[in-house]
Amino acid sequence: MKFIVNALRRVEGDSYVTLNARIYSFLLWGLTNPKVLSPAHTLRQMIRIGVEALPMASLVALSVGFILAMQASTELGKLGANSFIPDLVSLSLLRELGPLLIAIIVVGRSGSAVAAELGTMKVNEEIEALKVMAISPVRFLVIPRYLALMIMLPILTVFGNCVGLAGGWAVCVGTLDMTSSFYITHAVQRPEVWDLYSGLIKSAVFAHLIITIACYQGLGVTGGAEGVGRATTASVVYSILWIIIADAALTGLFFFAL
Amino acid sequence: MSRAPRQINSGPKKIFQPGEVILEVRDLTMVFGDRRVLDNIRFQVRAGETFVIMGGSGCGKTTLLRCLIGAQKPTSGSIHLFGEDITRMDPIEMDRIRLRFGMNFQFGALFQSMTVGENIALPLQEHSEVDPSLIEMIVKMKLELVGLTGFETFMPSALSGGMRKRVGLARAMALDPEILFSDEPTSGLDPVMTAVVDQLTLDSTRKIGATAVVVSHDMTSVFRIATRILMIGNGPRQGQVVAEGTPEEIRKNPDPFLQQFVKGEADGPIPLRMAQDDYLKHLLGDG
Repeated sequence: MKFIVNALRRVEGDSYVTLNARIYSFLLWGLTNPKVLSPAHTLRQMIRIGVEALPMASLVALSVGFILAMQASTELGKLGANSFIPDLVSLSLLRELGPLLIAIIVVGRSGSAVAAELGTMKVNEEIEALKVMAISPVRFLVIPRYLALMIMLPILTVFGNCVGLAGGWAVCVGTLDMTSSFYITHAVQRPEVWDLYSGLIKSAVFAHLIITIACYQGLGVTGGAEGVGRATTASVVYSILWIIIADAALTGLFFFAL
Repeated sequence: MSRAPRQINSGPKKIFQPGEVILEVRDLTMVFGDRRVLDNIRFQVRAGETFVIMGGSGCGKTTLLRCLIGAQKPTSGSIHLFGEDITRMDPIEMDRIRLRFGMNFQFGALFQSMTVGENIALPLQEHSEVDPSLIEMIVKMKLELVGLTGFETFMPSALSGGMRKRVGLARAMALDPEILFSDEPTSGLDPVMTAVVDQLTLDSTRKIGATAVVVSHDMTSVFRIATRILMIGNGPRQGQVVAEGTPEEIRKNPDPFLQQFVKGEADGPIPLRMAQDDYLKHLLGDG
């Protein structure tokens, strides 16, 4: 184990692959020595990146629940199939819209903030000061943020799914004369466990993409304030791009290939 | 903040006696694109010295310092720090060397999200097994050294530029390094604080036995602290060693390039503006 950790840490260069190699080296090291993972620092980042994103994520999830139920009712109502609305809302949220939309909210709110924060630290020579003090910026700055998002994005996704289902319930019960028990029974019984798991796997992959792209862009800033702005924009654009590509690939893998 | 485990095995290390070569630069060249910033630089620093690197703006002083601390790999040449070639080291080996020196950055490079006290305590928390109560005491001692007693809880954003530089110096000295590298430690300080920082540099070499490598173009400060001086040129002598010697030797050196710099004269061989013919060619697009 120590050999692998040291081999990964010895990798030189500043590429995206190198950053990932260093992250994995510290995570592997953390398996035998949890203090390397800076638990207190990670907890602070979980609050900043995850907990503080709850209101915005809730509002988006609630709106998506409303939209799904209302759009479904206009078409399914014509066919007399309003009873399928709870199934559609829950499947759409669990499999696709929950992980994707919460990830996009986190990109805009937390990914950009991480890129800007690390970029400003780079411009102010704080990253270089860490290196000169023999403190790895990846261990000290990236690992707590990485762990925080890897833990918090799936939690936010589950929370967002629940809020979205509540949005769908409000439309169905408030405007379609559906009973609460009917909505809840169908919304909960129709999806399989795999639908929930596939969404959680997606959100974990999205979390990895968001935080590694944000840290890579932030640590690679050159050229002062303008560079910080460029890195923040690039972080958001590349994160959303790769999230959608990864979503397409995972959906194909989970629901067509497997 | 939780204390990380001691990660780097500093291993057995040679203790350098005063007068032994602790840092040696051999034929160091640094090229950015088609611009040769440093050209065949070579010098030695002996343990216990205060070695000052001086030169005009853009001559490559800071690039040289970045190479010396391992932040940048030179295009060619080697740097032997504590008897080991750092230009061939991987990141883990370099960290072992970095534990033995401190770096005082030009603008402090303080962590903006931490208090002054946390900034100074960080290297101690990361690289020593010292008890937190003792770390607190060391922080107070280092702050007293730089004249900032009672500023432990201040955020860096609440300090003036000069105060940040002094906190940066206190942080660089936190682990009592064998070599203290300083990038323009007195620029922007008032005369009293300049003298205090100079005295600190002198104390670290004369009393503690450390070695100081200082980049500066504050002539008063240079001649107050230096035991040896290296002058790097710019313009036609870009990145080359113009002169090296004791302060007395530098004062007596007849090189007009060097004398213009030491005396701070506007007219002389150091080119600030283009010659008239060159300027005309440049304007007409022939040059």
